[in-house]
Amino acid sequence: MSEKLAILWPEIILFLGTCVVMILGLSPRIEARKACAAVAAIAIVLAGIVGSLAPSGGSALLPELMNYSKGLIAIIGLLLLLLATGTVDRAEERAIAAGQRTFDPLRATRGEFYAFFLFSLTGLMLCASADDLIWLFLALELTSLPTYVMVAISTRGTRSQEAGVKYFFLGALGAAIFLYGFALLYGGTGTTNLTEMHAYFAANGLNPIATAGLVISIVGIGFKIAAVPMHFYTADVYQGAAASVSAFLAFVPKTAGFLAILAIVAAPGWAYGTSGESLPPELRVTLWVIAALTMTVGNTLALMQTSIKRILAYSSIAHTGYMLVGVIAGPGDGSFTQNGVAAVLFYLLTYGVLNLGAFAIVACLEHDRGDTTEPDEADHIDDLKGLCRTKPVMGWVIVISSLGLLGLPPLLGFFGKVPLFTSGIAAGEIALVLVLAINSAIAAFYYLRLVNAALLSDPDPKGETLRETPLPLRRVAAVVATGGVIVLTIAAGGLMTAAEQAGTYAPMTHDEAERYLEAAGRASQAAELPEAP
Amino acid sequence: MLMHSAVQNAAEAVVGGAVSAADAARAFALPEVTEGPWWVALIPFLPLLGAALCGLCAAFKVKSKLPAWITVALLATSFAITVAMFQQLSGGASISHAFRWIEFRWGPEADQIFTANFSFYADNLSILWMLFVTGLATLIALYASEYMSHEVGTGYCRFFAAFCLFVFSMSCLVLGDNLILLFLGWEGVGLCSYLLIGYYYKKPSAVAAAKKAFIMNRIGDLGLLMGIFLTFVHFGTVEYRELFALAEPYVLALQQGRIGDIPAIVNLIPVLLAIGAFGKSAQFPLYVWLPDAMEGPTPVSALIHAATMVTAGVYLIARTYPLFLASDIALPLVAWVGAITALLAATIGMAQFDIKRIMAYSTVSQLGFMFCGLAVLTTAGGVFHVLTHAFFKATLFLACGAVMHGFAGQLDLRKLSGVMFMPGWLIVGLAMLVGCLNLAGFPFTAGYFSKDLILAEAFITPTMAPIGWILLFTAGLTAYYTFRVFFRVFVGPKEFHPGDDAHGEAETDVEEHSEQVEQGNPQAEAVGEKAHDVGDEAHGADEAEDHEHGHGHFHPHPPGWAINTVLATLALASILAAGLYFIGDKGWVDGMLQSSTAQQVYLTQEGTRASGYALVTAEPAAKGTFLGFDPHKAMYYVSAVVGLIGIGVAFVLHYLGRTEAATSRADKLLPAMGPIATWAQDKWRVDELYDMVIVKPLRVISHIFHVIDKLIVDGLVNLFGVLPRMIGSALRPVQSGQLQGYAVGMAVGLAFVLLVVVLMAVAGAGVAS
Repeated sequence: MSEKLAILWPEIILFLGTCVVMILGLSPRIEARKACAAVAAIAIVLAGIVGSLAPSGGSALLPELMNYSKGLIAIIGLLLLLLATGTVDRAEERAIAAGQRTFDPLRATRGEFYAFFLFSLTGLMLCASADDLIWLFLALELTSLPTYVMVAISTRGTRSQEAGVKYFFLGALGAAIFLYGFALLYGGTGTTNLTEMHAYFAANGLNPIATAGLVISIVGIGFKIAAVPMHFYTADVYQGAAASVSAFLAFVPKTAGFLAILAIVAAPGWAYGTSGESLPPELRVTLWVIAALTMTVGNTLALMQTSIKRILAYSSIAHTGYMLVGVIAGPGDGSFTQNGVAAVLFYLLTYGVLNLGAFAIVACLEHDRGDTTEPDEADHIDDLKGLCRTKPVMGWVIVISSLGLLGLPPLLGFFGKVPLFTSGIAAGEIALVLVLAINSAIAAFYYLRLVNAALLSDPDPKGETLRETPLPLRRVAAVVATGGVIVLTIAAGGLMTAAEQAGTYAPMTHDEAERYLEAAGRASQAAELPEAP
Repeated sequence: MLMHSAVQNAAEAVVGGAVSAADAARAFALPEVTEGPWWVALIPFLPLLGAALCGLCAAFKVKSKLPAWITVALLATSFAITVAMFQQLSGGASISHAFRWIEFRWGPEADQIFTANFSFYADNLSILWMLFVTGLATLIALYASEYMSHEVGTGYCRFFAAFCLFVFSMSCLVLGDNLILLFLGWEGVGLCSYLLIGYYYKKPSAVAAAKKAFIMNRIGDLGLLMGIFLTFVHFGTVEYRELFALAEPYVLALQQGRIGDIPAIVNLIPVLLAIGAFGKSAQFPLYVWLPDAMEGPTPVSALIHAATMVTAGVYLIARTYPLFLASDIALPLVAWVGAITALLAATIGMAQFDIKRIMAYSTVSQLGFMFCGLAVLTTAGGVFHVLTHAFFKATLFLACGAVMHGFAGQLDLRKLSGVMFMPGWLIVGLAMLVGCLNLAGFPFTAGYFSKDLILAEAFITPTMAPIGWILLFTAGLTAYYTFRVFFRVFVGPKEFHPGDDAHGEAETDVEEHSEQVEQGNPQAEAVGEKAHDVGDEAHGADEAEDHEHGHGHFHPHPPGWAINTVLATLALASILAAGLYFIGDKGWVDGMLQSSTAQQVYLTQEGTRASGYALVTAEPAAKGTFLGFDPHKAMYYVSAVVGLIGIGVAFVLHYLGRTEAATSRADKLLPAMGPIATWAQDKWRVDELYDMVIVKPLRVISHIFHVIDKLIVDGLVNLFGVLPRMIGSALRPVQSGQLQGYAVGMAVGLAFVLLVVVLMAVAGAGVAS
């Protein structure tokens, strides 16, 4: 266990940060309460530095995955933190500052909010270093559980509470499904360790119980990544939560889900099918159907929406579908253009940055409703009208983010999509790549609507209450994310190398697997299991 | 004759009659490529930093000259680094790797690689270019700090940001170690050129000129892009180092007259690259944008549209010279296009009245000379002319700009006279004189030596003698139109009519200059009065010109220290550049180029015969002559005489007996010339021709396509647009917001997936059994 400790320092740092933040949030002194965000930021930066410099560890199958993922999580996490400033307690703090009320620890939620934020990131980082099903389950739930609360407390309205409850119940259902899948996997292989499981599969092949376990696990984890048929909650929850929390939901649980899916499908590996280079047929068909349906459902439903958050929610479903193509394609020969795993990891980065910019626009624009009530988020697509003229910075943030999400060359999203296409083609999944291409075209309809509203339309005469948020850090997040789109586009080469390395897949041969099992004292156990029909 | 040893070996082997593969393995000496120092990357990135800082200044609404000083400081540092690199470079080439940019691999073994990195290829050719690009950019930025002073504020920041961005792009173009980076720089300079031509974006003519430049350049860029595509298709790389090595066998084939061994695609690549060069360097038929580009601020005209950017085409050809040497059609094409452009632009330049436009046409004409220089195989001549031209043309433009700045935008040579002898204008006048002497090819000036190299080599190269005669004639015309400007504007009776571009600063200047008059400067006063009188007459004669305002109050404001310093420095540099001709065996530039890939290449007799063109055997007997003399020696005298005749004609027609600005003796000749003079004044109506032959038909076609697009294409698109929407509306009721409904949906989905898997398993079992 001590060797595990060496790779857990980032998580430990985040946890310590969480404890400090929770206490600071209860302080009667405003300075101390204000330090919550700063402490959280420091914890994330430290965790990111330690995480990307740590010795590689985690799963033996994807040995380089951990450091890249932790660096990625820290970067996007920091931007999300900037965006999340001022989400909770704004009216409360104003009342206290005005002397209308004194500080009441029972009413304040700031400490909890940042603590849960960090807890969720801790879980996400744990997902990146998971090599065991139990570990993976706990990490996934540690990622998700805080988000249920974050959704519920993100605004004072009942819609958030409704969204939080809905998210919690459906999340529990999803967790139950993949936990059932994990149980079947244990039943089918006799181990919860993913490396050992891989050795078992490599030595003995698949059996029906394990296959069922794999399929059910993937479908269940589909809840985290918002894949069909687990996607229903997405739009309602994203819309109900504050935009900053929606941006969090669109990145953190999704990344956790993809890291988990990669860890799980790496166990059987891409060594089946006629070519001997694809996933087990049942798993492949499952993922294939889920990917195709997810893209199509996400994109077609996004077409009808007028709420920006709902558009982005459905588009995030569609992006899940795109990334599943990379999972199906698998590592290929390991080069960047053929490695689907690297493509997924790179896409997570591009999607994280672009999506943040897009959600930031909702978080940064609000309708002023006077002093008495909280300002409303400007969530309607008409609010974007003429934004490039009235508020040029915000206008260009949404234009560049939308075009990037659309995958317009030469922006970052384009470089994200290219390896998904090329790895899919290299893996022979021509039909799925066609579905991906058609869906990318459909996505243009609604992304261009956003661009059109901001860039080409005349300002909405009803929009005089529209103003930029007084919270400067949110605007910083929006501008940094958008600037990142451009900077990362230029630096894409280096990031591609990093992703290529992170996507390294180290499977065992049949002989190695047998030796491994023998060393683990499990050779006899394997023979006792029922033979495949 | 100084020859590279490898070439000599090959040539001797052929002369000896025994071509062994080992002896003739090298067509030209490929430079040894070493790892370069990292700080070369600073040359482009410092200007980029400057652009960012100027952008920040705009964001913070800086209302001082800060952006100009940032620009000057960073560009000067960049220049210093270039000089350091020049010191360090001793022949050969070095590649400095900045960062990985594009790298794609594919194919069964991932052995197909497309690489284009941010790496910088420093050899004598690229460093030579960078020396004058960064050096001139620094000086011109200093000049612009004063010239643009009435724009201080956001416009000032915008100007210097684009200026810095231009230098960054130009550095990428020149220093890039692959064609993609070159293309990035190529497009970057095009963009900056567009931004800066359209700097006065409220002026419709400036916007139109910017668009024209952009669109004309697109045509050339298409050629360049196709050339790059074909290069990658055929050679499998766009990196110079590998590309030149791969091109060598073809050069060798052409040298030895094995034309059949050269595939059509290798012949085509340089032609396409040349089309790109024609667009960027304003050669026939894509030259019409450059004169209009003079709508931009004068420092921009001087830097971008005279000294640096327009020589990018020359650089492209010099850089990819091995590819051009591998084709027997590309260089003759370049030669003829260059010669036609030189002559055409010179004839137009003779008939114009706007002095900046005359300089623009002379730039087009001189660029033609440079293309000819490359095409008649004297890369040294072509590049030397680029270098000298950069200095003297910048001088000329900046002097014209000083006039324009001082006389409220007046550029008509019929409305200015004797400027040089007005108080405070002596330095401008002397700088102008130096520039004019260079451009006219006055003996012992730098322009004289560089032009002679091209002219002489044109007569030496077989089949290129017609080019030589055209260029010689053009040289005479050049001398005439250059001194036409000088004799009319800078000397002669003192007289001026200010333009109608009295900028904001003029208000304050009026005070200042009035004081000067009061303090006893009767000359200035006299000038002012005279201007007033003649101005009224001119007003009556020419109602179209409205320069009512400012009369009687206007006094020209002579240039300040920044403009004078820069003009003096540049004029001095133009004079000193002549000295470069005497360094080394065949001039400094030749010495530089011999260790780069743009070295002079010699053909064997077989090669000369088979290609029907192209020189130059090692034997003097095969060389062309100038009417039986050695062209190099004869040209010293011939071109000097031609230049002096041109100057003399200008002296007689435009100086002798001229009493006022508006008329000269040349006017008496106009009726005798009939319509030719008017046509030349109308630029041979080339713009109208393009409008009739290209623009109008295209507009008709576009209307037809518009209808087709509306009816058929839009219909199809709408059909496909409706389909996803229908699916979307069918799915929408499922998103009811009901928790129970969602849970059921998830369960049904899971059941469906399991069903599929079970069915598969059953089917699989069925097949297996």
